[in-house]
Amino acid sequence: MNRARTTVLTVAGTLLLLAAMEGVGRLGVLGESWPPLTQVVAALDDPITRDLMGRALAATATAAGTGFVAGTLVALGVALVGALLPPLQPGLDRLAAVVHAVPLIALGPLLITTVGREGTPAVIAALAAGFAVFVAATSGLGAAGAAHRDVFRALGSSRRATLLRLQLPSAIPLLIDGLALAAPAAVLGAVVGEWFGAPRGLGVLLVSSMQNFQTDLMWAAALSAAVISLTAYGALAGLRVAAARRFV
Amino acid sequence: MAATGISESPPEATPRATPGALELRGVTKEFRLRRSRTVTALESVDLAVGNGEFVALLGPSGCGKSTVLRMLAGLDTPTRGEVLVNGGAPAELVRGHRLGIAFQEHALLPWATAYDNVALPFRVAGRPVDADRVNALLSLVGLEGFTDARPRQLSGGMRQRVAIARALVLQPEVLLLDEPFGALDAVTRRRMNFELARIWADQQITTLLVTHDVDEAVLLADRVVVLTGRPGTVRHVEDITLPRPRDKALTRDAEFHDIVDRLTALLDEGAE
Amino acid sequence: MSRSESAVVEGPSAGQQPVGKGDRTAPRADTEDGGKQPRRALLRTSSRTLTRLLSRYWTVLALVAAWAVWVRTQQLNQIVAPTPAAVFGDVVGHPGAYLPDLGWTLLNAAVGLALGLVLGVTGALLVWASPLLSGLMTPMALIMRSVPVVAMIPVIARVVGFGITAVLTVTTVVSFFPVFVMAGSGLRAAPAATRDVFTVLAATRLTRLRLLLLPHAVPAVLVGLRLTASTAVLSAMLAEYLLGTHGLGQLFAQSVTFMDPARAWGTALVATVVSVLCFIGARAAERLGSAHFS
Repeated sequence: MNRARTTVLTVAGTLLLLAAMEGVGRLGVLGESWPPLTQVVAALDDPITRDLMGRALAATATAAGTGFVAGTLVALGVALVGALLPPLQPGLDRLAAVVHAVPLIALGPLLITTVGREGTPAVIAALAAGFAVFVAATSGLGAAGAAHRDVFRALGSSRRATLLRLQLPSAIPLLIDGLALAAPAAVLGAVVGEWFGAPRGLGVLLVSSMQNFQTDLMWAAALSAAVISLTAYGALAGLRVAAARRFV
Repeated sequence: MAATGISESPPEATPRATPGALELRGVTKEFRLRRSRTVTALESVDLAVGNGEFVALLGPSGCGKSTVLRMLAGLDTPTRGEVLVNGGAPAELVRGHRLGIAFQEHALLPWATAYDNVALPFRVAGRPVDADRVNALLSLVGLEGFTDARPRQLSGGMRQRVAIARALVLQPEVLLLDEPFGALDAVTRRRMNFELARIWADQQITTLLVTHDVDEAVLLADRVVVLTGRPGTVRHVEDITLPRPRDKALTRDAEFHDIVDRLTALLDEGAE
Repeated sequence: MSRSESAVVEGPSAGQQPVGKGDRTAPRADTEDGGKQPRRALLRTSSRTLTRLLSRYWTVLALVAAWAVWVRTQQLNQIVAPTPAAVFGDVVGHPGAYLPDLGWTLLNAAVGLALGLVLGVTGALLVWASPLLSGLMTPMALIMRSVPVVAMIPVIARVVGFGITAVLTVTTVVSFFPVFVMAGSGLRAAPAATRDVFTVLAATRLTRLRLLLLPHAVPAVLVGLRLTASTAVLSAMLAEYLLGTHGLGQLFAQSVTFMDPARAWGTALVATVVSVLCFIGARAAERLGSAHFS
């Protein structure tokens, strides 16, 4: 009964949200710059716009995807190093914290000179995603309970065996949580990275349409970015549910 | 009825069997808390368990008995005194994967089946899994049909049985049990006690059982060491010469109840 | 060098005036003997602190060293990448150039945090008060968690207008989400048994809120603030950069345009330090709060 109720309310909530977007636009409550949802979707009927959006979407999605994968791999590697060599752990934590604290805009010019305008979005996406995964991974690798760790120690387990058979499996739920947070972070990184002069992408589109008062296009770009983010997050959150059944 | 085999001995007496497979000599353990305060968990404890002996360490909560067990497993070190296993450091036994241990918390891997949990010590030791041995142990603890079950599908008692099977799978020289049935209800616990007595009779491994349940201690052990007070010290050592095998009939035995009553009285005294 | 450090270097009797000619020997003997103990202890604690600092910050130091080496080996024009020395020099040498913009950024972040806190807690209370609302808000919550707000700065600017309004909206929205989520879970954090006690005592909803739920929610809200304190600063900078309003973000943009890389990187350095300090401050507040409330 409760589940059915939750589903109904969630569906109702989603519809309400979409209706609100539409309503605010039609009534002009927030001015010219908030068009009705239908108008934004209609803008995509134009094949030129569709083409433009498509290319921008592809560019951002590729940058976000590459960054996500690269950032995740590096973060996992670093977390594993920290788990295998505990004395290094505090330094690695601080490094991650500092990397996270450096304002993204500062990285822009630096990256443009090193990896170029095309590569910057992917690198920033990698840094953003990597931080989320690193935090989740270090947290997860330490998640095994004291009794479990004692059993492994009493069994005479090597550090490698404990990592492989206890810490990694215990880490999986938290790790997937981290991946779910890293996905929108990667999209964010890609979009922000594009603001530094990438040739194409949703970020580029957002800024240019903002400057040229192309409201419908701007919203279309924003919604596309939101949709990619949501889809990626949703997929990973679903994975989390599946993992909970096996690993918790 | 067998002749009364109750004898009392002073706390520092050596055991019947020689030489000491497990030994604590003058062990004191202090823990440092925050703000450089220390708490002494154990004070000058002497304890010896001979080869093939089953010794129960009996005491109220917080008297340091788990600390004794952890030191024997190499999970902790004494502040003063010596802890010896087979005449050497506990770490040696552990390195050779010859120690079996079970805690109150079953500490089973939730993502693994009962079979995989019992097989874990093989994998950790880097040895090929002896499937026959794993299955034999699962049968021994009465879980033949549950090899593919995951811990969440098993009851509390069943999970503890898997934990005990895991402790026995590599044929350890020493078995350490830290209140393994503490989390179970009274009925299940009593049943598990008889199960353990039966399983142990099969292998007769050098065993130290830590418990606060007097019945359990007298039922299972050759010798009961009573540890009380804060810091914990050996209050009394009692030889249990009740006949083996120890079965349900024993719980109706007057002698059994006599011993239990006396030890309970000792624990009560210690608590005051 | 602090007084204790100088004492270590020069000896504890340094700085002490001799009592009088006749008394030279007596006081000196006293300080020499008694002086050794504190000095040894001081050395011990200093070396321990040093090792601890080193074990934590070796990566940061390595990074700075790598930066210095990279600039030198690449033989890049100073225009592109300044040396660490140049950057530190600019910040330390010209604090006046940074302070006004730093003030703006901090103001933007602080106002956003405050508003986000108020709105977040209010929102959480509303959702708690009405299960219907809570169900309806589920898709909204999902969106909050998964859509990057900062990417929407152009949209926000168009809707609410350019300038400081947009920046404040951005920092408020960024601060709102974590506080809302954490406050919500905090309100539900009271253990069931305690909640039952309140029910049995026939407490009114308001009393229950005041005495049970809000105190349980405080630690969670503080965690939310910790999560978002430095983000508020960084998103303020991003908004300033993009929209050209006062603040470190704009200073950065201008420095890049006017080919002053030392100033640009200096801005980044200041922002990083500030954001780290905010994080530390928020974490300290969180610890204080948890100690008090749980």
